[in-house]
Amino acid sequence: MEERHTCTDKSVLDMTNPKPKAESQSDEAEDPDGGWGWVLVGALFVSTSLVFGLMRSLGIFFVEFVQYFDESAHAISWISSTGLAAQQFFSPLGAALCNAYNARVVVMTGGLLAGLGLILASQATRLYHLYLTMGVISGLGWGLVFTPMVATVMAHFTRRRTLALGLAFSSIGLSSFAFNPLFQLLVEKYAWRGALLILGGLSLNIVPCGALIRPRRRSKAPAKVDSETGSSPVSVLRRISSYLELSLLSERPYVTYTLGITLLNVGYFVPYFHLVAHSRHAGFSEYQSAFVMSAAGASDILGRIVSGWFSDLGHFRLIHLLSAWTTLAGVFIMLLPLSSLSGSYSALMVISLLYGFCSGALTSVVFVVVPLIVGVERMMGALGLLQLIESGAGLLGTPLSGFLKDVTGNYVASFIVAGSFLILGTLTMATLPHYFSCTDPPPPPQRSSLDDKHNGLHSELEHMTSSPSSDTNHRV
Amino acid sequence: MLASWKQLIFQILLLLVSCRHINTTSPDPTPPPLVPIDSLPRDVRRAAFKGEGQIEKVELLNPVNLELVCTWTGHQNKESNITGFWRKDGLEIENSHLTVQLENEQYQLQQVFNIVSEENLGNYSCVFESEVKIDFVVAVPQIGEIRDKPVVTYVGDSGVITCKMEDSKPMPNTWKWYKANGTDKEEIFAAAEPQRYEIKNNERKTKLLVNNLTMADSGLYYCGAVYTLSTSMGHVELKVITYYEPLKPFMAIVAEVFILVTAILLFERSRSKKNDTEGDMMSDQTNTLSPGENNGLEGSSSMRQRKT
Repeated sequence: MEERHTCTDKSVLDMTNPKPKAESQSDEAEDPDGGWGWVLVGALFVSTSLVFGLMRSLGIFFVEFVQYFDESAHAISWISSTGLAAQQFFSPLGAALCNAYNARVVVMTGGLLAGLGLILASQATRLYHLYLTMGVISGLGWGLVFTPMVATVMAHFTRRRTLALGLAFSSIGLSSFAFNPLFQLLVEKYAWRGALLILGGLSLNIVPCGALIRPRRRSKAPAKVDSETGSSPVSVLRRISSYLELSLLSERPYVTYTLGITLLNVGYFVPYFHLVAHSRHAGFSEYQSAFVMSAAGASDILGRIVSGWFSDLGHFRLIHLLSAWTTLAGVFIMLLPLSSLSGSYSALMVISLLYGFCSGALTSVVFVVVPLIVGVERMMGALGLLQLIESGAGLLGTPLSGFLKDVTGNYVASFIVAGSFLILGTLTMATLPHYFSCTDPPPPPQRSSLDDKHNGLHSELEHMTSSPSSDTNHRV
Repeated sequence: MLASWKQLIFQILLLLVSCRHINTTSPDPTPPPLVPIDSLPRDVRRAAFKGEGQIEKVELLNPVNLELVCTWTGHQNKESNITGFWRKDGLEIENSHLTVQLENEQYQLQQVFNIVSEENLGNYSCVFESEVKIDFVVAVPQIGEIRDKPVVTYVGDSGVITCKMEDSKPMPNTWKWYKANGTDKEEIFAAAEPQRYEIKNNERKTKLLVNNLTMADSGLYYCGAVYTLSTSMGHVELKVITYYEPLKPFMAIVAEVFILVTAILLFERSRSKKNDTEGDMMSDQTNTLSPGENNGLEGSSSMRQRKT
């Protein structure tokens, strides 16, 4: 646990906490990095697959919707856009509710809402019913599920955070493989109405996942919560803003990081939308193009797990690893059109595999860097705000690349611009304080416990981790 | 004088006898069924023999005089004359046998057929020497893009069936819809039952909307692309199911979710109760929340206290 002399460092805790964890935590909740944490990883695996894996496979329904509602494909595609936008928009709300109450209730409610949205959608008679049910209601549910579960899992781990997240996020790719044929079967057997009803039931499985979150002890809380009594508008607003962690928006490290991730998101999704079309454009057959996409998806899954395992070995700082993966992904995106220009299928396949690996690798690390910047107890709100802000980038990136394709006639410009956005994101992250040092900076100073310390997840998270700042809080 | 009468009779007799052997049929084979109607346009299709089982598709919309030309380069030892004839739908056409001359190193059979109505459509084959055969499938354009899986809908809901004629094929004059009734087809007249049926025709596409479905509406539906010569049919199956069908797996999943949640909460409660009793036995610093919330925390923390 001594500070190392070389650039390889363990996590923050080892470096700055000379004492063994057990001693400092007299009322340590659980063993971090093990036991119940892995159960929660399983719960996150299931809920992530039911949120994002499900969202990705909704394309199967679109053909049915186009035929039944007699609408254009563009109008139908707004359903999933609304769902994704709602999930990201309501993330801060989910985070705030967890800060105010507890994560278990929030996630279980989110699961109920997600299921309810799909169940109601099965009764739709007009297209806008689908926007409201599958889009808004389910999206709200998904928003209440994802960020809280990610934050809870991260709070249960210290050394193996990235591996835990990597394993859990691999569910997105794996479940897309499983859900596509499953949804096809459901639609063939029960038509889209019955299939949506059954999917709503499946989504309800998020509720037991949420039930696995153990509510934390609120021992320290009662003393502190009294400081924030009264329901005057000012104090209510202040409480809400602290639940939402809005103060983060004024802190340079967080804003810098969020900006970098937003830039990353502009270019990140472009290959998902355009790779198949680009391959066809380059002259490859439908099967070859689809296979390239599937191969990239498979290497994405592998990348998430390997990156998770590798990051936790501790040879490099997480922020450096993130920069490396992001830069590589950006480079490979830029190489994608150039490799197929030469007409070689194997070159396209190799670059796509490498791109898939790097893009999967960076997703494992993106979330884990957040508590290193803002500290563990503000992680929940920070993740919520991050989701919200980065959602704008996704909305910008795809239309921009489509526009470039329409203007130039091929996808070369779109991919190069997308890759350059990723590199731009890396450069932005390079402006983070202490970026070029070999060790992680000390975590940010704890907020004063006098003003807005609340019960709920704050103290729960303190118990769960052993960052030194929360140590000091315990002794207070 | 008598001699000239005898000569005349003898000549007449001779004429009559020789006339009996005169074949009044022309050297050309008689064309099948009808006399060529000159007002019809002529459509010529050629085919050269490439191998066994050769099939040429002939798409026709309107009545034509269809001329089919078959050529064959023959065997190694080319005879100067071979026989050839025509078949329709596997049956030999009467009086279609021909002797074919070898010209320019190949044999050529040609024939003009009147295609004026539906019974003239079918499989025409030219046959050389009873072994070399080319099939011409003469038909109206077939509907290619049609759903092969059944359309599933619910009782009380409305169902949509579409048929489309590909862009590469000629447009039909109009569309008609039929419902299968046993082995027969009954035409669906949307005007007769506007509440139940609605047909939307759009040149290449046609849609049949069936409202207020009942179980009896299940079955095969036929869309017909109407051309002057004939109607080309495609069929789609409509399946009507009740809401109970998907409800069964749904309730099973909801029950599973309920059981899981209850099990998890009960398990947690029993663990916390166990730890509660352990905790009570020792002095503990914290005595906080409601028993339901307690879990392994206090137990392990008190264990820690003992160790340190």
